Amino acid sequence: MSAQNAAKIGEAEDADTVVVRFRGHAFEPLTSGALFWPAHEALLVADLHLEKMSSFARAGRLLPPYDTGMTLSRLEADIERTGARRVIALGDSFHRDEGTTSLLPHDRARIDRMLERTRWTWISGNHDPSPHGIGGDCCAELLLDGLRLVHEPQRRSAGIVAGHLHPAARVLINGRSVRRACFVHDERLMLLPAYGSATGSLNVLSPAFSGLFDRAGLQVVMLGRDRLYPVSPRRLVAG
Amino acid sequence: MEHRPDPVLPDRIAAWFAERGWAPRRHQLDVLEAHSAGESALLIAPTGAGKTLAGFLPTLDDLIEGKGQGLHTLYLSPLKALAVDVARNLTDPIGEMGLKIRVETRTGDTPASRRQRQRFDPPDILLTTPEQLALLLSHPESAKLFSTLRRVVLDELHALVTSKRGDLLALGIARLARLAPDLKMTGLSATVAQPAMLADWLAAPLAPRAARLITAKGGAKPELSILSSDTRIPWAGHSANYAIPELYEIIKANGTSLVFVNTRSQAEMLFQGLWAINVDDLPIALHHGSLDVEQRRKVESAMVAGRLRAVVCTSTLDLGIDWGDVDLVIQIGAPKGASRMLQRIGRANHRLDEPSRALFVPANRFEVLECEAALEAVNEGQQDSEDPADGGLDVLAQHVLGRACSGPFDADTLFAEVTSAWPYRDLGRQRFDRVLDFVATGGYALRAYERFARLRKTPEGLWRIANPAVAQQYRLNVGTIVEEPMVKVRLVRGRGQKRGLTTGPIGRGGRVLGEIEEYFIDQLVPGDTFVFGGEIVAFEAMREDEAYVSRSFARDPRIPAYMGGKFPLSTYLAERVRAMLADPEGWRALPGQVSDWLELQRAVSTLPGKNSLLVETFPRADKHYLVCYPFEGRIAHQTLGMLLTRRLERARARPLGFVASEYALAIWAVGDLGMLTTSGRLSLDDLFAEDMLGDDLEAWLDESSLMKRTFRNCAIISGLIERRHPGKEKSGRQMTMSADLIYDVLYQHEPDHILIEATRRDAARGLLDIRRLGEFLRRIRRHILHKPLDRISPLAVPVMLEIGKEPIFGEGRESAMAEAADELIREAMGR
Repeated sequence: MSAQNAAKIGEAEDADTVVVRFRGHAFEPLTSGALFWPAHEALLVADLHLEKMSSFARAGRLLPPYDTGMTLSRLEADIERTGARRVIALGDSFHRDEGTTSLLPHDRARIDRMLERTRWTWISGNHDPSPHGIGGDCCAELLLDGLRLVHEPQRRSAGIVAGHLHPAARVLINGRSVRRACFVHDERLMLLPAYGSATGSLNVLSPAFSGLFDRAGLQVVMLGRDRLYPVSPRRLVAG
Repeated sequence: MEHRPDPVLPDRIAAWFAERGWAPRRHQLDVLEAHSAGESALLIAPTGAGKTLAGFLPTLDDLIEGKGQGLHTLYLSPLKALAVDVARNLTDPIGEMGLKIRVETRTGDTPASRRQRQRFDPPDILLTTPEQLALLLSHPESAKLFSTLRRVVLDELHALVTSKRGDLLALGIARLARLAPDLKMTGLSATVAQPAMLADWLAAPLAPRAARLITAKGGAKPELSILSSDTRIPWAGHSANYAIPELYEIIKANGTSLVFVNTRSQAEMLFQGLWAINVDDLPIALHHGSLDVEQRRKVESAMVAGRLRAVVCTSTLDLGIDWGDVDLVIQIGAPKGASRMLQRIGRANHRLDEPSRALFVPANRFEVLECEAALEAVNEGQQDSEDPADGGLDVLAQHVLGRACSGPFDADTLFAEVTSAWPYRDLGRQRFDRVLDFVATGGYALRAYERFARLRKTPEGLWRIANPAVAQQYRLNVGTIVEEPMVKVRLVRGRGQKRGLTTGPIGRGGRVLGEIEEYFIDQLVPGDTFVFGGEIVAFEAMREDEAYVSRSFARDPRIPAYMGGKFPLSTYLAERVRAMLADPEGWRALPGQVSDWLELQRAVSTLPGKNSLLVETFPRADKHYLVCYPFEGRIAHQTLGMLLTRRLERARARPLGFVASEYALAIWAVGDLGMLTTSGRLSLDDLFAEDMLGDDLEAWLDESSLMKRTFRNCAIISGLIERRHPGKEKSGRQMTMSADLIYDVLYQHEPDHILIEATRRDAARGLLDIRRLGEFLRRIRRHILHKPLDRISPLAVPVMLEIGKEPIFGEGRESAMAEAADELIREAMGR
């Protein structure tokens, strides 16, 4: 079964569209790192880490205060492009709980505009455990169509869609290597890459991922600049 | 030079000289005389000329006269080892003259209690480094501490002024000139190309008072030779393996040899090669920057004790303490520059009146030419040292914050002070204000951080730090040396690779061999072999921040790891090499193999002219090649390669990649480059037009990882992100990642931010060598000679051999993913 699930769909659809099938559902991963679920017109995003750079300023590190705006721009564009009516943020949406109050007024206004147009669910993460009053629903997890949407991945049950680990993959071919954030899933678990502009990433071969996936059924889709690359798990290397 | 009367040497000093049967040298007295006349001085002298004593004679004179209360002389050196060594060399004569003069050093190793005490109860003479000066200046009591200062002695000034440490030093002495109205500078330097410029640099903060330029008489002319080998000189490569047996015999025939190479990996290869045939068990040691500090200290002390016959070393031993008796300096591979060679040669035989002996060993045929050029240049006494450069804005930001830590300041006054430092003499007020704003609030167009400002204005309009934590942060970040992120290399038992290169299961907790650049490890996959610590090892795994390696039985390392030296071929030597190529009469002096090679080139193609550019095109296998010979150094060639491939892409020549060497650049493409040119569809004059340094450069910079690496340094130096402290801060790995992210965010949103500007200026100077490329493009304009060939020319062979050894540029990084993806599709379709 190796690769059919993640392979390109031919002439019928846009040649650049990749469809990922997970437990009977069809998803469309986007180069931004969002996962669109057409059946529910829902856009899934993980680890926005809004207000990450500005959270350093308190400690005297005056990092550029633009990451929140960049993340929101991509989100606006994704909503626009997919026509999503629903946004589900899979936790760590804010880098700290306080992030909801440190938003600059115009960033706050942009979130408000998106909240007016789409139904939002904020799933809590380890960075932003507390419910907040930004708008939309706050919850610890969401059950939808037989899938369990949470922040941290678990192995105990099947059908989990999560974030938290910021997965990335590195491939090596003919001595050239490239490392990018990626979607990664097997039959039981689907992990989204971190969506935030100021987030780092972790190789799916690193110990943090050990025991989560069944290597035989592993599917990896790397984010390219203009398209997505489903890559052969055999090509993955560490680092 | 007009005759000056001898300054009166104080009796005690005169007696001390007489007791030893010595006489003070002319230039030593000249320095003293300049001081007595109230002038600063720059002393240019070769190694072994008694520079250090010259530097301190005026101090001894003053202190004997009783002029001096509190700190009298500050000595600054680029190396703490040198400061410690000078202290020792100074304490002895002071004791012998029976003087009551306190001499102390201050380095990172000085106990905190003593450093604390030095701020309130300073010695007469303090020996330290530019970083320690910056730290001292950041304390509120610095004004009082330095108010008594009469002299600053700057050692190895030529080495400092070309780097950001020089910028920091220049700002430091500009501050000192304000705190100590009676200050005079003394600079000590090796011979440089532009001594007057260096004298300006030194005395700029004291303007309009200038520094007197004193040049010591040169010592005996060095005896130089080039190894003439009976074996075949390789076409390409940098290892000089062919010469190892001869080299071994030479080491055996001499007392002590210093063997200089250009890169760490060359040092590794050569060391290994020498030991492989060391049947006499000669004590031959290895010294380079990646080795464990302990290990390096051991080698240094064995050298001082005269227990070694040879040390294979990199530029880590270019400067430093006196070695005592070195009989022979051997330069392996490209000399790069005449001044650099002269300084390395000066490491042999620190006695002025005896000639130093040096041997050049070219590693390939082009290097034969380069060695010839260097030998002639050194014999003629030509200098091609790098000139001091304009100051970095990141260093300025660090200095501004340090200034605020010492107490509130007025912006106008600080601006005047800063622009009195030579590297910042052309700094505009607007740029200064942007740096100040950056230090205070981050300098972002989006004013998000007023409430977190690090600097605030007092009611009197002075700038002060917002809270004491800012000063603490500053003190942890002081300095301009940013280490590449390194990982420890630990030797473990191997787990038995499929290739049968290593043995046994992977073990834990072996010995640490040293540290290696993280970007090098990043490109390895388990099983790859490389040379490290003098042996071939196989990469096993990354464990946290350590690279596990095992001993390998491979005969050749798989990863060549020639990282190109830090120093490009000097413009001056390049010119000489081009002149040699253009003069077939002179080829007779070259080894037969080399002149045959050039003759052959003349027969099948032509030779590059002295002032023109030769461009050859030829097909090979299923690709078309363009090879040109600018002789401008690898860095400038890489930049040129990047820009030319962009243009060729636009010309629909479908370029695939390129590789750059010190001498040449080879580009390959699907399109027939020769035919495109001869048919007139591709104009070489347009291709090499200078305007590539405009939009094309900008467009390329947008996606270049070089900018990110440069940005990381600027961000650390300017205090935007923290530098790594062992065991305390987050690892370099994480920091690099976050610096990249910060760059992306900042570049996309505010591409004209002051820190991006600082990065751009640095990249243009360092990693891109834009200025040199620009001069080259101007020089060859309308002087391009195209030679369409039906096959590779002899001159093109060396650079073509680099393909596969050197990183290849220009291929879309994404294509690796595309290949992996296509493979998956083939798999899915059952093919």
